[in-house]
Amino acid sequence: MTESSFPSPGMRGLGPRTWPASSRPVIAGLGMTSLGKVYGQTSARFAADAVRLAVADAGLGLADVDGLLTSSGMAGGISIDLQRDLGLKDLRLLSHLQAYGSTAGAMVQFASMAVMSGTANVVACVFADSPLRPEGSAGAVYGSRRVPAGWWGLLGASGVVGANPMYALAARRHMDRFGTTSEQLGHIAVAQRDWAALNPAAQLRDPITLADHQASRWIVEPFHLLDCCLVSNGGIAVVITTAERAASLAQPPVHVLGWAQSHPGRYLRRSPDFGLVSGAAAAGPAALAMAGRRLTDVDVAELYDCYTFTVLLTLEDYGFCPKGEGGPFVASGVLGPAGKLRLNTGGGQLSGYYMWGMTPLSEAIIQARGGGGARQSAAHDIVLVSGNGGVLDHHSTLVLASEAGAG
Amino acid sequence: MTVGPVQRDDATAEFFDATAAGRFLLRRCPAGHIGEPAATQCTACAATDLDWVEAGGGASLVSWAVSWSRPADGDEPRKTLLAIGELDEGPWWWTLLACDLPPDAAELVPGRRLRIAFRRADAEHEAVPVFVLA
Repeated sequence: MTESSFPSPGMRGLGPRTWPASSRPVIAGLGMTSLGKVYGQTSARFAADAVRLAVADAGLGLADVDGLLTSSGMAGGISIDLQRDLGLKDLRLLSHLQAYGSTAGAMVQFASMAVMSGTANVVACVFADSPLRPEGSAGAVYGSRRVPAGWWGLLGASGVVGANPMYALAARRHMDRFGTTSEQLGHIAVAQRDWAALNPAAQLRDPITLADHQASRWIVEPFHLLDCCLVSNGGIAVVITTAERAASLAQPPVHVLGWAQSHPGRYLRRSPDFGLVSGAAAAGPAALAMAGRRLTDVDVAELYDCYTFTVLLTLEDYGFCPKGEGGPFVASGVLGPAGKLRLNTGGGQLSGYYMWGMTPLSEAIIQARGGGGARQSAAHDIVLVSGNGGVLDHHSTLVLASEAGAG
Repeated sequence: MTVGPVQRDDATAEFFDATAAGRFLLRRCPAGHIGEPAATQCTACAATDLDWVEAGGGASLVSWAVSWSRPADGDEPRKTLLAIGELDEGPWWWTLLACDLPPDAAELVPGRRLRIAFRRADAEHEAVPVFVLA
């Protein structure tokens, strides 16, 4: 076989559209434990519970699972030993992944490739975390417990501790360059709380106003408390299989049409793009190209929202508005249940629950199935999902579709 | 606004020897490319035989933020001004900007000139580079 006889990889890649319909990847199961201030369970137990729920949701049994991908948050405590916890035998795929907030999207990508190639047929992907303790804040777990030493110790000793300062520095750069304001970021917080009010699984459901956002205490200027995500205990799992297998299962299939990752490699490096452009700018168009869809085809967007600013930057990078115009765009009335943009319809990580990339992914699956209840988007054929990790350093994009949208 | 304690390890021993003497070291490859202190491979040409070279100490403001910490005793929040500075040699550096608070935001514009200085948490720990307004 000569090189030229291979299909061109290009931007579209060898995506599901180039595969026989029967072997295209589908999300067939979703499992969510109780999320939030749920105490007394280890991360591993949350993970096992989530997989059991997802497999049952799909109408499958644990014996049907032949692939398992695990991931964990800052508290760790999850490994491929989850196979033993779940009593899974003769797996054909097993790995632990870590790409921070882009991991959930990455797991779906790897699982999709696995079922397309026949490497495995039923792949469970799980994230769980338990940073919250009944007494006191999550800071003890999300901060460092180690004796500060070396380069990382120096960064902390210099006052740059954890994600908050780094994202604040990124947001300030966007403000300086484009005139973005804290009030504009507040529109994202208010809109997502309005969505959360419609989501029984959301942790924070009391409506807030722009004034509440502005009055909430500073965490790291320019971020108020209401610019920052929640911290949650719990676990979420999804089950990926082929369209052929999913056809006889319990749930409406959610097709995985396209995907991409982008890892620019700028962390703690000089970068002209810092705070201005993220990996979303590469991954978004690439995922849509693989799916054979345009941005205007997207009915619902579930975007990773560790901070309000992350949403704004991802909207720009995906092309929902021109670069630099994210501030005026989010303040223009497009957001929230009354707006035209169906964005972070479950309240996201700001008001819903913080399960890293599983937060946008789980809400995307719920919406694509049409199971969103009071918050369900009428149009839900194409759902765009983002994952973001590090300090805007790791990005994953998924293009999902309902049965009607996959045609 | 103070720095925290930090200990040296094998990778940072020479860097902290220098900060103790009021010098900020960068890495330089045989081709003359300058990299950040933590670099183990040249970002321009992938060389791994890197020398140390002293930075001039001048920098320009890239971005800033104000970290608010809540003391457990319920006292007033402690505010720390943080900055990214672009060293005149090219690399960026992340550390606190030691100046009187509240900062005059009008003065904290990109390109504002900064200078590297050094602070210690206490005599037991290493000297930490900080920025001051030039």
